[in-house]
Amino acid sequence: MANHSTSHPTHVQHHFVDADQQFDSAKMGMWVFLVNEILFFGGLFCAYIVYRSWYPELFTEAALELNTFWGAVNTVVLIGSSLTVAMAIRSVQKDQIKGLKINLLITIALAIVFMVIKGFEYSHKFHLGIFPGEFYTFEGLEHAKAPIFFSIYYMLTGVHALHVLIGIGLIYWIYRRAVRGDFSSEYYTPVEITGLYWHLVDLIWIFLFPLLYLIE
Amino acid sequence: MATAEVSNTKTLKVKRFKPSEDPKSTFLTEEKGLWAWLTTVDHKKIGLMYLGSVTFFFLLGGILALLLRTELLTPAKTFIEADTYNQFFTLHGAIMVFFVLVPSIPAALGNFVLPMQLGAKDVAFPRLNLASFYIYVIGAIFTFIALANNGLDTGWTFYTPYSTDSSSSVIWVTLGVFILGFSSILTGTNFITTIHKMRAPGITWGKLPLNIWALYATSIIQVLATPVLAITLLLLTMERFLGIGIFDPAMGGDPVLFQHFFWFYSHPAVYIMIVPGFGIISEVITTFSKKHIFGYWAIALSSLAIAFIGFLVWGHHMFTSGQSAVATTVFSFLTFLVGIPTGIKILNWVATLYKGSIEMKTPMLYVFIFLFLFSIGGFTGIMLGSLAADIHLHDTYYVVAHFHYVMMGGTLIALLAGLHYWWPKMTGKMYNEFQAKIGAALIFIGFNMTFLPQFIMGSQGMPRRYYNYIDQFTIFHQTSTIGSYILGVGFLLIAFYLLRSLFSGEKAGSNPWGSRGLEWQATSPPDLHNFDHTPVIINGPYDYHKPMEEFQLGLADVHHNGHEPSHAAKAAAEEVTN
Amino acid sequence: MSGNSHENHHHVSTAGQLWAVGTALLILTIITVVLAKFVTIPAPFDIITAISIAVVKAGLVAAFFMNLYWDTKFNAMLLLMAVAFFMLMVLITLLDTLYRVDVVPSF
Repeated sequence: MANHSTSHPTHVQHHFVDADQQFDSAKMGMWVFLVNEILFFGGLFCAYIVYRSWYPELFTEAALELNTFWGAVNTVVLIGSSLTVAMAIRSVQKDQIKGLKINLLITIALAIVFMVIKGFEYSHKFHLGIFPGEFYTFEGLEHAKAPIFFSIYYMLTGVHALHVLIGIGLIYWIYRRAVRGDFSSEYYTPVEITGLYWHLVDLIWIFLFPLLYLIE
Repeated sequence: MATAEVSNTKTLKVKRFKPSEDPKSTFLTEEKGLWAWLTTVDHKKIGLMYLGSVTFFFLLGGILALLLRTELLTPAKTFIEADTYNQFFTLHGAIMVFFVLVPSIPAALGNFVLPMQLGAKDVAFPRLNLASFYIYVIGAIFTFIALANNGLDTGWTFYTPYSTDSSSSVIWVTLGVFILGFSSILTGTNFITTIHKMRAPGITWGKLPLNIWALYATSIIQVLATPVLAITLLLLTMERFLGIGIFDPAMGGDPVLFQHFFWFYSHPAVYIMIVPGFGIISEVITTFSKKHIFGYWAIALSSLAIAFIGFLVWGHHMFTSGQSAVATTVFSFLTFLVGIPTGIKILNWVATLYKGSIEMKTPMLYVFIFLFLFSIGGFTGIMLGSLAADIHLHDTYYVVAHFHYVMMGGTLIALLAGLHYWWPKMTGKMYNEFQAKIGAALIFIGFNMTFLPQFIMGSQGMPRRYYNYIDQFTIFHQTSTIGSYILGVGFLLIAFYLLRSLFSGEKAGSNPWGSRGLEWQATSPPDLHNFDHTPVIINGPYDYHKPMEEFQLGLADVHHNGHEPSHAAKAAAEEVTN
Repeated sequence: MSGNSHENHHHVSTAGQLWAVGTALLILTIITVVLAKFVTIPAPFDIITAISIAVVKAGLVAAFFMNLYWDTKFNAMLLLMAVAFFMLMVLITLLDTLYRVDVVPSF
């Protein structure tokens, strides 16, 4: 520690000893925050599991109303965006700021594609009268608890979509900072922790996809 | 220059830094003015702002409590309508739990003390710390909107289906508490990271003050449990907006599932409230016994054990809710397990007192009050955890009394102990010791008068939350009400002498209690950066058998880490040879 | 403190590694869709297969995209702790919901 005493670069906040301590702290803080995100979605997954254990037949019937093809496309889109975020971090680690910017833009584009597809899926369901809860008017399903399935569906995908929107905002902010020249291989903490957030959004979807779309 | 072995791999040059008794500049004299306070990222100022807000909410919740007790003076209507009464007890509960008890110790005292006990300049994420304060404020504003519009009458637990049907402003309060939850989560995240990454050289896990261990356990619960409350309240809000029906039996949902979700947070939440109190007790009890803590690791790890077991027992709030018999039995068994780590703590504290040189200063007086009241609260908790007894006692005043014995007799008394203990450090002023002892006596008498009768009437069948009662209970209710007035007077006296000490209090030295804790090696009040050197720790925080000089070491290279030595520190810095 | 962890966190993945992980995720997605839509697996093994594949995918993302494989073990422990507490919440809740006499009490 004592040998860091001379260097205190401008991006290191005054209360940290050195850049390493700042980077490690930021990353750990983000992981602790991700723990909280997992438990946040955990509540919804718990509701899903309880209702599925009560009404397995409802889930099989109702899942037919979801479009597996578009669900799968969205899965691929999100995986692709995770890959580009990982590539963006690699670029900044190697001081390739141009690569960083390009990868961030591709990520934003993929995230927007995800949201557009989601929007089409939602509007198709609204068209059929599949609204959450008491606004549900669809007649294609016999099951008395069908509105509850769709309530869970809308809550899970809706909260996830909200996270995607926040992610788009964050990545755009990172992009603006990259344009401004804030990042280098010496300092890329915000890129790293935003990347962690984005991967978590991907992780959640990896479970949502089989749980909602792939029930046969 | 002396050298000290800090770890196996590094040798650091250290020298002694004696804290100045007459600091030229402190965090209170620098960055002055309202705007500087509102935009500060200094953990000490943020801690004080939390302390101010918590006090305000405590006053509000306390006034509501006194109004409730006054209404209960007579069996029928005394002065308010039944609906108003419902709103008052709901708001009393919601305010005291979410706005007072949860943030009181970690966010107010913890914010102030934690970085200092670690020898750090600040928490890991100072701006996030300020953000969590403002999130708390926004949550509070939402609750006030609810107050202004229809109030809230669901009870602080928001049980469905009543909360989905009630005509009061449930959405405003649930959104308020939802927002507040993020404040708690962010504080927890900040503390965990700070404890891991910001420790001064030499502070190993085995040399962490027990207060830090307690705050660590608390932060883990905050991070793991609070998001579940957030999603539950979001679902409840959606239940009211969109009628999603997951919890509403009218829509085919399951209200008991709501209770599972709610208590998955709210049971661990009582440990968010009490565990930091345990930390304060460990600090105060060693300082005023001048003795090493008995069973350091037992106390440290029992905090983590309580945090963990606390996640397994939520269903004991639901014994009469219609949950399955299997779950009920398992929850009852697991509930008894919580008694083990708690008992370990009490035993170790009492053993710490043994053969110590006990000094009965006000903070220590509160520790004894804590030990007495919290033990009663704990034992009655075991009774409530046993299935058969709970069927009789559920939703009676027995539960109310138990809850107040652990939360008020535990957390709040520990908070008072901590407040009196750290007051000289926070303000640089001593309060009047005699008045403080009178205050403690009033609190103790008033508290027991208020809540002991509630055990009796509860066991005789007086249900909680009732506006009316039968004549048989009059004497208990009246004793309780008179007790609550005494309690109120006690709190007013505390507020009076603490505020007075700010203006005319004696000046406090840097270490008025002779503690070995690192926070006492800063000036009173501390410097803006806590220390003007990087502290180096070679002893445990409770090594009262070692000389004070060994607790005042810092890196000899004063320019290290951007610390600019003040003139006072330069003058006071002297070399030690040990 | 953290001085000795220098080699841990500045790991730079090669582009090849990242693309390999991305491709593996794509292939696993295709497999899980094919298994669900075109192969009849008797319940409960259909759910078990789908979730197992999802767990493998999540593991790949966490280990290589989120860098846990090269990172300090504590961050991986945090992730596992989150999953463990989620499981705890589900399992204990199921202890009630699966064993109720009447699924939704009729009142």
